[in-house]
Amino acid sequence: MNQSPVETVEEFLYREATYLDQADLESWIQLFTEDGTYWMPAMHEQPDPMNHISHIYDDRVLMEIRKRNFIHPRAPSLQSPVQSSHLIANIREEGTTTIGERIIHSNFHIVMWYREEQRVFAGTYQHHLQSTASGFLIKHKKVQLINPEAAQKSIIIYL
Amino acid sequence: MNTPAIEASLDQLVEATRVNRQVYLDPDIFDLEMERIWGKAWIFIGHESQIPLSGDYFTTNIDHKTPVLMVRGKDHKIHVLHNRCAHKGAKIVTARSGKIAGAFRCPYHGWTFKHNGNLLKIPNESGYENTGFDLNDSCNNLQPLAQFDSYRGFVFASLSDQTPDLKTWLGGAIDCFDNLCDRAPEGEVEVAGGVLRYEHDCNWKFIIENLNDTMHPMIVHQSVVQSAEAYISTLDADAAKQKQEAEILLPFGASYENFEDSGITGFPYGHHYDGGKTSIHANYSVMPEYHKAMIDRYGEQRTQGIYAFNTHNTLLYPSLTIKCAIQNIRVIRPVAVNKFIVETWSFRLKGAPDEMLQRTLLYSRLINSSASMVGPDDLEVYRRLQEGLASNSSQWVEMHRQFGRDQQLEDRVTGGGTSDLDVRTQYKAWRHYMLGEAML
Repeated sequence: MNQSPVETVEEFLYREATYLDQADLESWIQLFTEDGTYWMPAMHEQPDPMNHISHIYDDRVLMEIRKRNFIHPRAPSLQSPVQSSHLIANIREEGTTTIGERIIHSNFHIVMWYREEQRVFAGTYQHHLQSTASGFLIKHKKVQLINPEAAQKSIIIYL
Repeated sequence: MNTPAIEASLDQLVEATRVNRQVYLDPDIFDLEMERIWGKAWIFIGHESQIPLSGDYFTTNIDHKTPVLMVRGKDHKIHVLHNRCAHKGAKIVTARSGKIAGAFRCPYHGWTFKHNGNLLKIPNESGYENTGFDLNDSCNNLQPLAQFDSYRGFVFASLSDQTPDLKTWLGGAIDCFDNLCDRAPEGEVEVAGGVLRYEHDCNWKFIIENLNDTMHPMIVHQSVVQSAEAYISTLDADAAKQKQEAEILLPFGASYENFEDSGITGFPYGHHYDGGKTSIHANYSVMPEYHKAMIDRYGEQRTQGIYAFNTHNTLLYPSLTIKCAIQNIRVIRPVAVNKFIVETWSFRLKGAPDEMLQRTLLYSRLINSSASMVGPDDLEVYRRLQEGLASNSSQWVEMHRQFGRDQQLEDRVTGGGTSDLDVRTQYKAWRHYMLGEAML
């Protein structure tokens, strides 16, 4: 696919956020590499996703299951619409991973409307981006909430 | 609270096969439940492994508002104390866990207390001379709970000194602690990997009445099971990584017959479990390295016996639920008539490879997280109950399934796995605590 002009990091992050705002998980998953992961830790400075509990740690398998579940007519929690608005700011590049992916940090504010209630999530994103011929792909996305240890109500879509 | 009116109605609220909707809706009944159930029963506080060293503490509320702390003393003993300064009443510590620096110190006037809660020092003490104040009166200590005790590391406390001792109260359900711990090659478990807290905006009883409601998984969790099946069917059959996620999610779609076969066993004081012979956890693969460690410790026969005790969910009414085969627990912390928090804690089996803890954490993430595809569907139906029961079209919620078919044994009652025996068992305990009816 020719993209002209080439999408910048900022534009890519805004496009990702737009897919989530629109609850378009089909398009959103396509932004990840096949071995891409999505991680929402349950504490500050959590060393890894395997030996400590997380709110979410999804690989492609779970993203694919979630995508199907999200539009399944019989998921009781999904019979109420969810609507989000993502704001991303303070975007900065923080070097590269050992295999050359660009590490992008940003701050996010998300307002979410679900079940007659408006909720606010805030924190920082960390994206590991691979540059490919057709643009960026996400190898890893980490969602660090400012309150990862707080009791959460149901979170029925990726932040 | 209009206590006399509530008092008079209590007896009418719970019948053998139905309960009045007000037990889920009425704030006055909630207050009475806090006083009479949560104020009398043994409530799970935490696990000893959370406070391994002298001075380590962990805090929680024992009911909807009473702050308590569990602390490891200098003599290594566990103490469960009211988290309230003996002087003006300030909460002594606010962190969920931590380590005391030398002594507990109240942030208001600097009274200090030893690890066991005994008063250590009051600043400018001379002001109390000849005032009738007695420094050595135990009322000036951080007050211990009326009772506290532990079984295989699981610490419980009670606000009442009338509750029978912990082992008697646990009854036959004690087997679940033994099984959980025996699944460790070293015979002990420890809390590992942190905690998830999940806010539920509904009455606390819905989750424990759903725990062994085996008529709901194939309905409430149909979507995630079908979504997992649909995706996995597109994959190469021996894609090993997918298997563990499938192994956890797919049994939620198990048939009525399968759940019926697993059976339910009820005990005095509202405890119960489903499974035993089989459960939705029965067909998990056994990791070779773990199996070897088990055989080395217990031998083949005993090891198979430990695996074969295959419970799904155990409830220690009202506060603790256990999954032996998964090695996680959920703890109910009530807040208000329409709000409670569920904590999910995971355990490491001492002597087992790290992969066992990682599977436990995967399970907690996939099933119990507020961001999972299972927990939110359960919470959604609880919320529908909370909202639907506001209708006055009927006063009653029914629990007839397999009524009259329960087998009463000496210390327990058993029945089919799709029976409402579990709910009837809980309401028998409810009447015991709320109305003073005999339990045994």
